Amino acid sequence: MDDLERLYTTHYAAVVRFLYRKIWDADRAEDLAQEVFIRAMAHRPEKPRAWIFAVAANLARDEARAAIRRKKHLTLLKDDPVPLSTPDASADETVERDERWAQVSGALATLTDRDRDVLLLWDGGLSYPEIAAQTGLAVGAVGTTLARARKRLIEAYDRTEYTADAARS
Amino acid sequence: MTELNIRLTRHVPDDELHAYLDQALSRSQCVEIETHLAVCARCSDNRDAHAAMRDRTTALLATLTPRALIIPPPYASLEERRIGLPHFSRLQRSLRRSAKWAAGIMVAIGAGWAGRSIFDPPRAPEAIAATVADTLEADKVSIKAIPLATVAPQLATVSPAPDFVPSDRPVPERRTRRSSVRSVTGQRPEAAIMPAPMLQLVSSVLPTRESLDQPAPAPRLETVSSFERIWRRVSWEEALKIAGSGLPFIEGMPVIGVLLQPGSGGERPTVIVAQQDGTGEVIQSIEGPVAKVFDLLQRQSAPDVFASAASRTPPDYVEEHGVTRRGIRILMVTGRLTVDSLNALAKVATIR
Repeated sequence: MDDLERLYTTHYAAVVRFLYRKIWDADRAEDLAQEVFIRAMAHRPEKPRAWIFAVAANLARDEARAAIRRKKHLTLLKDDPVPLSTPDASADETVERDERWAQVSGALATLTDRDRDVLLLWDGGLSYPEIAAQTGLAVGAVGTTLARARKRLIEAYDRTEYTADAARS
Repeated sequence: MTELNIRLTRHVPDDELHAYLDQALSRSQCVEIETHLAVCARCSDNRDAHAAMRDRTTALLATLTPRALIIPPPYASLEERRIGLPHFSRLQRSLRRSAKWAAGIMVAIGAGWAGRSIFDPPRAPEAIAATVADTLEADKVSIKAIPLATVAPQLATVSPAPDFVPSDRPVPERRTRRSSVRSVTGQRPEAAIMPAPMLQLVSSVLPTRESLDQPAPAPRLETVSSFERIWRRVSWEEALKIAGSGLPFIEGMPVIGVLLQPGSGGERPTVIVAQQDGTGEVIQSIEGPVAKVFDLLQRQSAPDVFASAASRTPPDYVEEHGVTRRGIRILMVTGRLTVDSLNALAKVATIR
């Protein structure tokens, strides 16, 4: 098993999640993740982990532009209701999960592009120097950006939850 | 003051705390921060708060996952796909060649356009109108109305708006100079000029204007008739007494029926309130525990009846085996309307 294959096994899920949080399409995220690794096979980059996330970010950006051209809305964050899953024994959990998904993705959408990128790259498992190299920030500024992004995400989430509770009561 | 004292008295800034928690600092920096944290309660508390924030962020982001389990396809399958794909640099070269061709064509079109505007400037509208009039006269165009059905049968069924008055004089078709010249020299079919029909936007799911004059249809509550033995048909007042404050209601629509199913074990009853809108369409608001509402919707057999998205209503608190369980309740609005319309109705529905 070579380095890239090992990286594929350990980081495939992280790349899919990273892409999914940018394009909000599970199937497309998997397609793009495979595309990223296929390109990595051809290029054999020196720093594969950082390279993979950089290519994934570029593909997600291209996908977003293409989606805008196709007049597709990328997110279901606005007033559109989140489609509910097929009812089953755990219908309560399904409703709660869908609602939580909408709240968290709504909170994530309130962040600036830079804050969101840094947060998602950190969650993808990249180190501070790798995040700095990809976003163009100084290594010392990654901690500041992450601190701000985390704080804003939680504040935005709490705000939506408070609003939802108030609407229910 | 010694250097050690300065380090001990300097509080750790937030970004450094985050970097420390993310293990992004060097060993010496970590030792420095840990030394300070050991003696500074304020920074220690701050560290705990930031650690909690970090953990909470991770937990929140974990909800944004496409699937619970993401399994990568076999690595060998990627190899096969890579071999099957054209080489990237070859693809790039072919794209570059296409782009050059496209750019060449655009330059040629641009040059032609510029040349035309220089050597053949556009004439004034009055001059064009005179040319058109001359051409019509020269061609002796016979203008006559032909039935709409022969031209566009699919539009013939669309009636013009009531305030539409056909003009006595047909509007001549707008022509460019080039077409008028060709018409003088060549054969041209008879012009068929007719007023464009004014289309009325009529949704296929909404009732027509004629149906408004008909008596309102009977409420369609037969979808739950199989539950007649457990469902009770009650009046609005009776339902208010039984359900207390759990009746869904859309303002401005008369209530034509209420079906009610008592809840079990401390649950509030499940309620279906049928109301009629201005067009005679029956709107059913269903409020109850999630599973029951979904069960009812699944039994809905009519293909043209849609449902709104679920919105949460106050939950039930049910005592079970000595513990209190929180049961989620939802409200959904169904009817022969578009989902957008039903969503809008669900938003204005109130719980009485």
